[in-house]
Amino acid sequence: MDESEDVPKDFIKLKSEKLSVDEVSELVVSPCCGAVSLFIGTTRNNFEGKKVIHLEYEAYTSMAETEIKKICRDVRQKWPSVQHIAVHHRLGVVPITEASVIIAVSSPHRAESLEAVMFCINTLKASVPIWKKEIYEDEYSWKENKECFWANSEK
Amino acid sequence: QVSVLYFARSAELAGLRSETLSVPRQITSLQLWEEIVKVHPRLAVIQDQVVFAVQQEYVLLGDQLLVLQPGDEVAIIPPISGG
Repeated sequence: MDESEDVPKDFIKLKSEKLSVDEVSELVVSPCCGAVSLFIGTTRNNFEGKKVIHLEYEAYTSMAETEIKKICRDVRQKWPSVQHIAVHHRLGVVPITEASVIIAVSSPHRAESLEAVMFCINTLKASVPIWKKEIYEDEYSWKENKECFWANSEK
Repeated sequence: QVSVLYFARSAELAGLRSETLSVPRQITSLQLWEEIVKVHPRLAVIQDQVVFAVQQEYVLLGDQLLVLQPGDEVAIIPPISGG
């Protein structure tokens, strides 16, 4: 048995290739854990009656990775039994229904991994410097998360 | 001399993704913004929506005094939309 599986690890990746749920869940699977919880963020085909053709993501990559590491550190403080955490975010063009983000967390029992996954995605949306552009038929729009603490928009 | 990075809407308005700017070593975040807007006046429209990231720490536009070193990275951060 490979003992390094027991050392808790964070797997953070920003990439332009299609994300894989199998790959991300396999990263966090561990013999000590009875639970793996997953969140997949997929792209919707409509916004306010407009047809979305695809999404485009860009990132301040070095800072995004650092902010995601901070989220992982906070997760481990709040839920010490969490084993592995994986956050994969896609950059560039993401077609409709494909995943833009996958988060997986493993823990011995299910409560911690379920709560940790929710915390990860909520905090990511509030603090990680990644931007999404929605491309419609005639125009495009830079989106703003309502979680963003400095945005004034009343939308 | 600091390295200024532009993202998302701010990159579209400024017309570039990065450049080097000469600024005073000590400057408030609002003054730094005003220096940048002098070079790229189109950025003025997003003043109420952006923050900075100075050496990868978020800084609101305001009275906060920044002490900058040569080569420091300053990024214009429009409202984020990851996830």
